[in-house]
Order: sequence, then C-alpha cells, then structure tokens
Amino acid sequence: MLDLKQLAYERKNRMAWLIVASLLKGVAMIGQALFFVWIADAVFLKDASFREVLPYFGGLLAAILIRAASGYAIGRTGVNLASEAKSTLRTKLTASFAGNPLQASVQGQSGEKVSLLLDAVDEVDAYFSKYIPQMVQSAIIPVLLLIVIFSQHWVTGLIILITAPFIPVFMALVGIKTKEKADAQMEKLGRFSGTFLDVLQGLTTLKLFGRAEQQKQVIKKSSLDFRDATMEVLKSAFLSSLMLEYISMLSMGIIALEIGLRLVVYDNLTFFTAFFVMILVPDFFNLLKDFGSAFHTGRGSAAAAKRLAAELEKERQPVAFGQAEMPEQPFAINVNALSFQYEDGFGLGPIEIAASPGSRLAIIGKSGSGKTTLLHAIAGLLPLQDGQILVNGIPRSEIAETSWFDHLSYISQNPYLFAGTIKENILIGTSQQTSEEELTEAARKAGILEMVYSLKQGFETPVGEAGRGLSGGEKQRIALARAFLKKPSLILFDEPTSGLDLYTEKVLQEAIEELGRDATIVTVAHRLHTVRNSDVILVLADGKAAAKGSHEELLETYSPYREMLAIQQGGVLQ
Amino acid sequence: MKELKQVMLLTVREKRDVSIAIFFGFLAGIAGVALMASSGYLISKAALTSQMTILIVMGACLKLFGLVSALSRYAERLFSHRATFTMLSNLRVSFFERLEPHAPQLFQKYRSGDLLARIVGDVESLQNFLLRVFYPPVVLGIVFLSTIFFASFFSFTIALVIAAGMMLTIVAVPAVFAWRQRKIDSATRASRAALSSEAAEFLFGFRDLKIYQQLDTKEQQLAAFSKDYAEQQRKVGLEENLSQSVNGFAALLVSFFVLGLGTYFVATDQLDGLYLAMLVMISLAVFENVPPMAVFPAYFEDNRKAAVRLEEIVAEERNKGKSLELSNGPLDFKLEGVSFAYPDEERPALQDVSLTFKAGTKTAIVGPSGSGKSTLLQVLLNIADVDSGDVAVGGIPLQKVRQESLWAAMNVVLQENHFFYGTIRSNLMIANEEATEEAMRNALNNVQLGHFALDMKVSEKGANLSGGEKQRLAIARALLRSKPIWLLDEPVSSVDSSTAHAIYQELFAQGKGDTFVIISHDLSGLEQMDQIVVMEQGRIIETGTYKEIMKRQGYFYGLKQIEKSIFA
Repeated sequence: MLDLKQLAYERKNRMAWLIVASLLKGVAMIGQALFFVWIADAVFLKDASFREVLPYFGGLLAAILIRAASGYAIGRTGVNLASEAKSTLRTKLTASFAGNPLQASVQGQSGEKVSLLLDAVDEVDAYFSKYIPQMVQSAIIPVLLLIVIFSQHWVTGLIILITAPFIPVFMALVGIKTKEKADAQMEKLGRFSGTFLDVLQGLTTLKLFGRAEQQKQVIKKSSLDFRDATMEVLKSAFLSSLMLEYISMLSMGIIALEIGLRLVVYDNLTFFTAFFVMILVPDFFNLLKDFGSAFHTGRGSAAAAKRLAAELEKERQPVAFGQAEMPEQPFAINVNALSFQYEDGFGLGPIEIAASPGSRLAIIGKSGSGKTTLLHAIAGLLPLQDGQILVNGIPRSEIAETSWFDHLSYISQNPYLFAGTIKENILIGTSQQTSEEELTEAARKAGILEMVYSLKQGFETPVGEAGRGLSGGEKQRIALARAFLKKPSLILFDEPTSGLDLYTEKVLQEAIEELGRDATIVTVAHRLHTVRNSDVILVLADGKAAAKGSHEELLETYSPYREMLAIQQGGVLQ
Repeated sequence: MKELKQVMLLTVREKRDVSIAIFFGFLAGIAGVALMASSGYLISKAALTSQMTILIVMGACLKLFGLVSALSRYAERLFSHRATFTMLSNLRVSFFERLEPHAPQLFQKYRSGDLLARIVGDVESLQNFLLRVFYPPVVLGIVFLSTIFFASFFSFTIALVIAAGMMLTIVAVPAVFAWRQRKIDSATRASRAALSSEAAEFLFGFRDLKIYQQLDTKEQQLAAFSKDYAEQQRKVGLEENLSQSVNGFAALLVSFFVLGLGTYFVATDQLDGLYLAMLVMISLAVFENVPPMAVFPAYFEDNRKAAVRLEEIVAEERNKGKSLELSNGPLDFKLEGVSFAYPDEERPALQDVSLTFKAGTKTAIVGPSGSGKSTLLQVLLNIADVDSGDVAVGGIPLQKVRQESLWAAMNVVLQENHFFYGTIRSNLMIANEEATEEAMRNALNNVQLGHFALDMKVSEKGANLSGGEKQRLAIARALLRSKPIWLLDEPVSSVDSSTAHAIYQELFAQGKGDTFVIISHDLSGLEQMDQIVVMEQGRIIETGTYKEIMKRQGYFYGLKQIEKSIFA
C-alpha cells in the first residue's frame, strides 16, 4: 500500500511549518478571544473609557492579523505540499513506466496509464492540501484551547473531555452504515450514471434507426433513479453531520448551563471568564467538525492511492546492457535457449536459432504464437529470463545500450509518428548530423518524397497524434526513411498483415532488399515471398519452436508447413 | 452571467425543492446567529442580575436555537441535493434534446472519441451550479440582511459596518477572484492537455522511443510538462487559499470594527453595555457562514466555461435546407465529381469521385486503409456534405433530402456499432420495435448467433461480446429492419471466412432485389457483385465486374495477388 502519510511526513520542513503555523493560529485564536472579552468586560462592567481600552484594540488587531496570516500560511503550505507530493508521484510513475520493459508489449493499456498519471495523481491532491493541514491543526489547536479552558474554568474543560469523544464514536458508527449503504447502491449508481454516456455514444446508431426521440424518457428515468439511489446514501452521510452538530450543541448547552448556574445562582464566576469560555468552546467544536469533513476528503483519496500503489509496486526487470561497442557490419545472431514468461501465463521458449551475418531469418506462426515477443526479446526490449543472445559471439547483455540501438532498426506494423514535422520524424532515426541531401535521398528511397513534395509545407508539414492525416502505408514508408538514414546492421521487421496499398507493398519489398545488403534481417513474416526468400524459417507454435530450416527443408520435413502452403496456393476462398 | 442563463432557467424550474432548501438554509444560518446572539446577551444579563429566570431562558434559548440550526442544516442539505440531482436530470434531457438533431455529423466532424466524455463531464459539472454558485450567495444574502435588520435596532452604524462586510465578502471578493480565475483556468486546462498528450506519446510511442534512444529525452520532457501542470495547479490552489484567507480576514476585521464602534458607543453612552457582547457575537456568527463563498469563483468559472463549450457544440446551424422527402421510385445513387476534405486536414479524403449505384445492384468498395471508403459511405448517408460535385438519390440532390427520411430506407452496419446496456432483445428491438420473438430468433440464427438467448445481458458498449459477435449482432439488427438499401462498412472483418460467407449468402437471399453497398478489405467472394469499385487515396482507380477487372490485371489484380501471398 502506498503510504500517503509517509509521503507527507518526508517533507519535514513543510510539516514543521504546519506545526508552527498551527501553534500560532491557536495562540492567535486565544488572544483574539481574550482581547474581545477584555474590552467588553472593561467598558461593560468596569466603566472604562474608550481611551483606556485603546491599547487592547492594538492587541486585538495583532491577534486577528496573526490568525489570518497563519491561516493563510497553513493553506499555502498544504497547497505546496500537495504540489510537491504530486510531482514526486508523477516522477515515480514515469520512471516506473520507463523502467518496465514489458511496457512495450502492453500498449493496449496506455489509456489507463495516462489516466493514472493525470487523474489518479490529481485525486490524492486533497489528502495533502486539505486532510494533512487539517489533521495538524486538529491535533494542536484544540489541545491549546482545552488547556486555556481548563486554566480558566476546569469544569467546562471536564465537560468537553467527557462529551467530545462521543463525536468520533458516532461518526465512525454512521460512517460504517453509510459505507454499507453506498456499497449496496454501488452497482445501481454506476449503471444509472452511465446511461447518459451510453445513449450519447449510441446516438448515431439510434438516429440511423430512427429511435433517438424515445431515448429522452430513458435518460430522464435513469437520472431520477440515480438521484434516488444517491439520496439514499447521502441521507446517512448527512445524518452523520447532524449527529456531530447535535453532540456539540448538547455539549455547549451543558457548559452554558453550568456557567449560567455559577454566574446567576452561586455568583462565583466572573463575566470575564464566562464570556471567554463561551467564545472558545464553539471554536473548539468547529475545529472538530472541520476535521470530520477533512477526514472524508482524505478517505476519498484512498482508492486513487491504491491504484497508484499497484503500478508503483510492479516488479521491474530491467534489460541488462554492458560496455562493448559494436562494429558497423551485419551482425551474427545466436539465440541460445532463450525463454520468457509473461505475468499472465504466456511463455515463450526455449528457443534456439541462429542467423549468420547478412542472412535473413523469418519467423512464422499463428497469431498469439509468440512471434512479436521473440522479436522484442531479440531487440533488447524484453529481459531474458533464461538463455542468452550472442551477437557476433558476444552476449547482448555485454553490449553498450547506445551502441546496440545505434545499429538496430525496428520496423513495426504500425510505426509511431511523434508530434512534430515530417522532417523531425525521419531524423529521429539517426543521432548523426544529416545534410538536406541525405534526408531527401532517404525519403526518395522510402518512396515518400513525392508525397512530401505534394504537401504545401513539404518536410516541415506537422504530423502529430500518431501521424493523423497519414495513411498506414505512408507511416510505413516514413519508418523506412528512418532506417535508410540509420544504415543499421540488424533490422527487425514486423511485416504488415494487410491493409497496405500496392505502392507501399512494392516499396517495402525493394527497401528491405536494399537495406538487407548491409544488414542481418529478422522478419515476423506474413508474405509468402518473404518467407521463401529467407535463409532460415522458424515456425512458432504456442511459444515453442515447432520447426526450423530453409523453405525446401521445411517442405520436406515438416508437414504443417506444406499444409500452410497448400492453403495459400489453393486459395482460402474456394 | 448570460452564458449561464440556460442553467439558471433549469434551476428555477425546480421551484419547490430550491425554495425549501433556501428556506432551511436561511433558518439554519439565522438560528446559528440567534444562538450566539442570545448567549452573548444572556451572559451579559446574568452578570448583572441573579434571577433564576434568566438561567432558564438562557438554557431554553440555547437548546432551541441549537436544535433548529442542526435540524435545518440537515433539511437544507437534503433538499438542496435533491434539487441538484433533479436538475442534473433536466440538464441531461434538455441537452440531449438540443444535441440530438446534430448527430451523427457532429461525431463525424470532431472525429474524436473524447468529445462525448467531455460533453458528459461538462453536463455533470453544471450540476454544481445550484449548490456552489447559485445557492450560497442567495442564502447568505438573506441571512445577512436579516441580521443587519436586527442589528440596526441597536446601532445603525454597527449595522452599516456589517452590511459593508457583507458586500465585501459575498460580492466584492468573490467577483474579483472569479475574474482572476478566468486566466488561471485556461492556463491550467492548457497545461493539463499538454501533459496528457505528452504522456500518451510517451506510452504509445514507447517502443520507437526506446529504439531511437529518445526515451530519456522524452522522460525529461514529460517531467517538464508535469512540473508545469503542477505549477498551474499550485496557482489554482493558492488562489483558492488566498480567496479563503481574504474572506476570513475581512470577516474578522468586521468583528473588530463592530467591537471598536460598540465600545466607543458604550463608553460615550450611546449604546447600552448589555448589548455589546451580543453584537460582537452576532458579527462573529454571521460570518461563520461565509466559507462556501471561497470556492465560488472556481465553480463559477468552471460552470461558465462548461456552459460556453456545450453551447458551442449545439449552436451551429446544421441541416439547413435538408427538408425534402425521398421519392417513391427506385433509389439510385449518383455521384459526380465529388470531393470532400475533413476540417483541419490538408489532403482531401475524396477526390473527383463519380459513381452510380443502381437500385437493385450490389457494389463492393475495396482499397487500402485510408483510401476514402468509409468517407464515401458518409456521403451516401448524407452525413458528410461534399465540398464540390453533385450527389443525387432517386433524382433529388442529396443535400436537400431530409436525413431521417433517407435513413428510414436503409439498413446500416457501420464499422463501430453501438450496443446499449440491456439485453440482446432490447438491442435488437432498436432496429424494429414490432419485431416478433420469432423474427428475432430467426435473425440471430441467420447470423449464426442462435446460441444467444434473447434475454442474455449486454453490458455497456457490448463489452461482453467479442468483435465478431458484435458484428454479427449488428447484421442481425439490419436483417430485422429489412429496408431496400443496405450500407455495410466492413461488416464481417472479425468473423471467420466460412461464417462470413454463410452470412453474406443469407443477406443476399433476404435482400433479393435490394441495393447493396459493401465496403470490404477482404477481396474474397466478390464474384457475385455487380460492380467492384477500387479506391486509393480518395480516388477511384478501377470499376467493373469481377471478371472485367481481373482480366485487366491492374490494381485489383495486384491486391488480389498480395492477398494470396498472405501467410498467416
């Protein structure tokens, strides 16, 4: 569990400030009451002149100023505390995302992770900005007030000591009841509140079926049902505040009665003491009330804290890298007894495969057989749990990370385009200085030059949001342009399954041909000609190597391969 | 303020609950003041006399006012929240009424999934209008005016001081902060949006960032955006704190002046000393009600923005001149030189498209992703208004046809079909209210979903159905409608090929003599189509029957070759 309290306590300066400001505020509150009473007492009972009490006004003004200033300081410290805590959490989250290599394989959850980074972190704000400052104040000021009250009139202090504990007890009781009710209504609440969104999302469908008009009633009914279900829960929450107010009223009533008795009947209490106590007691209970509401706010952050903790506590398995520098020539790749296990159970391996420098290795298999996972493992995006990958005879874990990625191109099915211009998106492929000619040449080879020139701003055309406005084929070709600039020694290629245009298909084939002259290529293959042109084919089934060999060898020795080919050539359509 | 007029009207509509809430809110506030006032007065009185009656009155007053205050507070909360939720319901219905005519072109225009979530969020945030914006100043105003009225009996000057305090704390300070909030709010929103897209980029582009060794740079950028957002939020928090502190200070200052003036008046015998404590207590108590005003500026600004945004969405004039009904004859679609570009996109999605879909023929539209197939469908649906060229249906220009009358003649299956929370039955009945049990069962059988019970639960967005099941259910809906024009956008892309084949046979059998327009990137089974249209980059590359275009050995032939070579 993520300990929010710990996170707050770590900021010792802020906490010290809160304590000092709370002490000041408490003293100011007492001072303010004291001066009020002094002045009233002086002019009311002691017939003092205005001039005589004037110095007291100076004191009162000072107390008011200190009270307002320390109140402001407490609030400000809370806001700063929240801001720092949130920044810390966001940094930790980002580091956790970045440090978790599995990230690459779970892109589907990206939306959820964005929400974690933005919403969940924002939801813990109230814990630091409201709950913690209120908690510090409630721990300090009531105690100060109680000490003063005891010193003035111990009976009142005693009454408070006896009645005040009822407040948390009743609050807890009602709180439990409320929670039960809320849990019982949870499903209903979720459903009713979701109907509006549901109808809006389906509005196109409804319109096309000519059924939109009727939905008004559905929205109305579900909204009113939502109201009734919510009110059920709120009623008991309001009851808890009523309880709180009632107990404090009761307590104040008893105090007033006791003071009154002494004032009127026994005449052994001064107006000064009575008035002073009567001002301080409501302050005392108000602080308890404030704490009650702050407590609820604080508890609201618990769910978000849980979500954050789940992410932060994820085990990290960094991919190991070393110091060795790689030469600029096609790599020899040897995969030895490689295996990898996902948390959800899917396991890859053990895999044994080798690719000589400049050769082509194809990986084929049904979807879900582990092809992309293997490609990720070779790329150094996933940690190996067992076995190793030798590159030119050196374990990959001994190669320097920069050197490794400098010599590697990975062309995925859906290349990512970053927010920026087309030029920036191509230049990301290389860390070296690139001339205008080299850029144009790479774009030409990748078959996008014409398209780029057809745009008003050419290479400076902004693309963003994952390349909005570009077709799948164009994104593929931009990825190729990146590779042409990079001149890699190893190309990992996840061949597109379908949906490309003829031109891109042609460009892809030619580009792989040209890039392959100075590189070893590992392809997750979907095209028959790619498979045929490969030196070694690895057939994966359920994460295991089912067969490997050249096209001819597989035809001879591995009958499922023959069947696959037969289906292709016979056509799946007949 | 005029931006919130709509919401205001809806609020006032809940007369009963709102007025009851205001009444109890007033009662709770004034009882609190009375409680403090009476205790101040009675203590002073008790100090002077030793009558038992004072004690009894004192005890009774404290009890009474205390009880009234607590109970009224409870009633106030109950009714104000009830009114709030009723208002939310009214808000939703009224917004739906105004949004409904704009769908679906609205969704087409924005092409953004979060538009709806934003609408829902904005509508939801308007529910705070009553509780946080409208209600506090009203109740506070009444409580203050009553208190001032009462105080004026003892000292007109002191009443004036309290009045000045009221103006300061519930009018001047919130107004100033509401004005300041405008700038802060939009800056916060902007920095949040920036962080959100930066985070999305970081996560979606993770693999490419890692390989291009940009991960560290991006992480630093993300940290910078996060810092910026935190700073903006900090400003918002400080602003709220400042507003709260200024208000609190103003309240204390008023009590200070009340005491000062009171003391002066007592010392100069213009006021009976008996009332001094009471007046001080009154001013302390009445300002205890002010804290809700501290959050007023933020909520006010939030509500104002939400109202403006919602207004923008529904305000645009649409469907102007779409009023003609469809003719009764056969409905041919004729497109001539049609071009269309999405707003904010440089390249047209359709370019110089000329095509005819004869009534009773079957057309398949094929081409790579992003070639304009779905956009063409939008044009046929009369959702996308073309930039140039002519589209006619049954001889009438499509721009003039009332959308609903066109859709009433169509069975449409889109790429994304919505399924509502409910049952299979309720989702099928959307297509045809009068569908019999038998007809529905038949439709399910025809799409090979015979194993589904009609009472089977469907969760929101059909989340408990697989992609293929959703597609088949959408086709079942279309089958239940059986109108003469079928528009199908990749209807079976997630269904295995033999099932898909069977479903097509069923469709063609039931829709004999109907017009079919099918978008597909699966090139199989096209032999039985009357016309195949091949698109690329918004243009038509080839048209003809299967035989014709295969013989030509052009683009379609090439695609067919690639499809043949696709392995697994």
